Amino acid sequence: MKRPPGHLVVVAVASTLVAGPALAGWTRTYVVEWNEPAMYYGAKTGVTAPGTDCPNGTNPEIDWVKVLVEAGYTPEEAKWLRNPANPTRSPVHGQNQMAFRGKDRANVYVNPTSTPDTGLVGVSGTIAEGIDLDGDAKTGFTSPNGEPGIDNVFYKTLGCWKTYRGPPRLSSGALQFNDSMRNGGWTTVIVVAGSGNDPLNDKHVKVGLYASDDKMVKDGNGAIARDYTFRIKPDARYEAIFAARTVNGRILSTASSDVMLRDPSYARDLELLRARVDLRMKEDGTLSGYVGGYRPWQVVYKGWVNARGPVIESLTWVRLPDVYYALRRNADFSPKGAKGEKTHISFALRVDALPAFVATPDASHEVAAVKSYKSVAKAEEPTMAALPFRIIDGIVIDPKSPVQAGPSAVILPPQASAGSTQ
Amino acid sequence: MASHFNRRSVLKGMLGGAAVTVGLPVLDMFLDGNGVAFADGAKLPVRFGTYFWGLGLTDTPTGGTRWVPKTVGPGYEITPELDCLAAVKDKVSVFSGFRVIPDGRANLVHWSGHASILSGIAPASSTRFDGPSFDTRIADAIGGTTRFRVLDIDASVSRRPVSYSTRTGTTFATPEATPLALYTRLFGAGFQDPNSDQWRPDPSIMLRQSVLSAVKDQREALFAGVGKADRIKLDQYFTSLREMENQLAVQLQRPDRCEACVVPAAPKEMPHAASVDVVNSNTRTLAKLLAMGLACNQTRVFNFVHTAGSSETYMAGQSKIYHQITHDEPTDAQLGYQPETSKLAGLVMQGFGGLLAEMEAIREGDGTLLDNMLIMAFSDTGYAKIHSIENIPLLLAGRAGGRHKAGQHVHATGEPVTRVSLTAQQLVGAPVGEFGVGAMKTSNPVREVMA
Repeated sequence: MKRPPGHLVVVAVASTLVAGPALAGWTRTYVVEWNEPAMYYGAKTGVTAPGTDCPNGTNPEIDWVKVLVEAGYTPEEAKWLRNPANPTRSPVHGQNQMAFRGKDRANVYVNPTSTPDTGLVGVSGTIAEGIDLDGDAKTGFTSPNGEPGIDNVFYKTLGCWKTYRGPPRLSSGALQFNDSMRNGGWTTVIVVAGSGNDPLNDKHVKVGLYASDDKMVKDGNGAIARDYTFRIKPDARYEAIFAARTVNGRILSTASSDVMLRDPSYARDLELLRARVDLRMKEDGTLSGYVGGYRPWQVVYKGWVNARGPVIESLTWVRLPDVYYALRRNADFSPKGAKGEKTHISFALRVDALPAFVATPDASHEVAAVKSYKSVAKAEEPTMAALPFRIIDGIVIDPKSPVQAGPSAVILPPQASAGSTQ
Repeated sequence: MASHFNRRSVLKGMLGGAAVTVGLPVLDMFLDGNGVAFADGAKLPVRFGTYFWGLGLTDTPTGGTRWVPKTVGPGYEITPELDCLAAVKDKVSVFSGFRVIPDGRANLVHWSGHASILSGIAPASSTRFDGPSFDTRIADAIGGTTRFRVLDIDASVSRRPVSYSTRTGTTFATPEATPLALYTRLFGAGFQDPNSDQWRPDPSIMLRQSVLSAVKDQREALFAGVGKADRIKLDQYFTSLREMENQLAVQLQRPDRCEACVVPAAPKEMPHAASVDVVNSNTRTLAKLLAMGLACNQTRVFNFVHTAGSSETYMAGQSKIYHQITHDEPTDAQLGYQPETSKLAGLVMQGFGGLLAEMEAIREGDGTLLDNMLIMAFSDTGYAKIHSIENIPLLLAGRAGGRHKAGQHVHATGEPVTRVSLTAQQLVGAPVGEFGVGAMKTSNPVREVMA
């Protein structure tokens, strides 16, 4: 069954439903088919080229032999550790010994300050996507459309990192996590409901983002199909409700909220304080825009560490301790007030959603209003992905391996290190 | 002159106090006048194999590809990463656009792809399949009359042996991972001391003396009774077998002492991985042995792993493994693809080209061994950078005794990979009408390639 663009549910239709919640004047419902950190790409081509955002292009690949030598390993040890043929290196799980390059060979992933900050190069441009979170047009970036006051220090901090850099939908991180989502990893639905007669211009609008256990379906071309039905899953963790208004189809928050969303990253949890939305209902029935707020930066860092620090460092060309230092240095918000420790960093999630049917958790009827389902949610489930291996302090430990990484690990085989002639 | 040898004959002899047997290839004397069937009317056997390599082939997020031919149907052009097929492309069909449909299950990276191809269902766990791999059905259908119902081979030189063949979904076959092991398996029967459960044959004895010397009398009798063409064929076969023995024997010899050479003792642990040239060399040697085993009807079904899903192989001299490069290499803006990844993909595919060459080198009837077999080659992923389970490369090689209308490119965007799996099963005569579960359940093989 096809619907007009946006799945407009008017009162006349919705009022036929039985035992539904308080009804809105209109409702539009969507499923998120793509979401990624809003990272403006300032170059014209490729995913790594120099641009207005990062004049030197994407941060370059790191010479890990040099890093290890600087950390106190001998050149022979460093080369040995980086040679895939050597048994002390686990090509599957990365080079565990890479973790132990802090002072006294401390694990730099769990103790990032045990190694010096070598300086993660961030964005130096003035344009960014996102939302004016603090209401101060004098602070922050300018949007690509020329709107001032865009608060997105997350982008400023990490925007030249290869994982995040690239045109919309083409950065490696966006591709990786959205592919996972689109293949059934998780589903987020959006309900927009207003009380007026004109959905495009309504002063009293609510926006709800909910989890769903129903997976998205791909069409024959591999794109997410429109107009499938998704039941809201009451979730004690992932839910976001915003008060908003619409102006010519643009949905803008009228007040901020503290919310939690499913993050397209290893961190999984996207907690946003003072969150706001800036979304647009398009003529083709789709919805695009931003959900922004201040997110705890330590969760971001730990997400990368727990995704296997050595693998992340090698694959994404970054020193994770530098990420720690940069996030800590640039964090721009404290829940405790202006003088509190800056534990959060401004952030925006770019969202693209397709029209979809969204039903109540019991599937008895389509949702016709935005409300919280947290009170009927089951107990929280573990948030970490079910990986086929255990990650401890950022590395995968194979207890059966005869070679174990660690502060006192012997790197070279005795014969090689002693120059034995045997 | 009537010969007492027939297509079921093996040469038997004694070696090291134990019996050995050497199978025979299909000789003209065993065939009818047309060279397409045995003299007693039985058809030449059709063999089946799977061939797996890790990390897919190179796509780009914007729709570019380094492997999908532009031409659909017969006469497709050779693309850079399918260069290995050039010599036998008329005997290989290429399938693009097929995908895994996980039915709401997550994409378990480096697992969901081949698990779905082989079992017909996206797995719930990355340590097991949710059903048997279809090669076991084929083995039950066509492998029962041979010495080995199936041979499992792993050329990857990985830390742990790799096999994706399973009857239960939880227990996977134990593959032969070295040429010596495969040689011993193929030609070592009879060496086992019946009084000992533990004693293993010493391949060095076999290699020094050769199984050919053990069957010398029978071999000479066979030569005496065959025509010129068969004599040439036998000579090639026995020469090839002896060359293989010599090649393996070198690996068992103690090297001469070199006074100037100070060799550090190697670490006791085996390498976790081997460079791609080593894996390809291992693949070629194992393929040569396998081809003999197939030609001599020791088995009709095999599973061959070149590299694992999370491939650990690398280019010699590089500090990064192939797997890492697929993920970390950016797409070149000018070229439109990941150049290093594509280069490595091409090298990895040379392994498959080598295996096909060994199958093609053995004459059988009017054609070659490859004409009388079907190999389904596939990978775990499409665009490896993001572990995509769309556009997973699938190939069917060999003419399957004429049943496979080979040499075509079939493009079917969004179709389930199970259609190709079903096609393979039906082409080799497995009694299978449908395959797969849920959205990947199909009773619709790719009829374009079926005669």
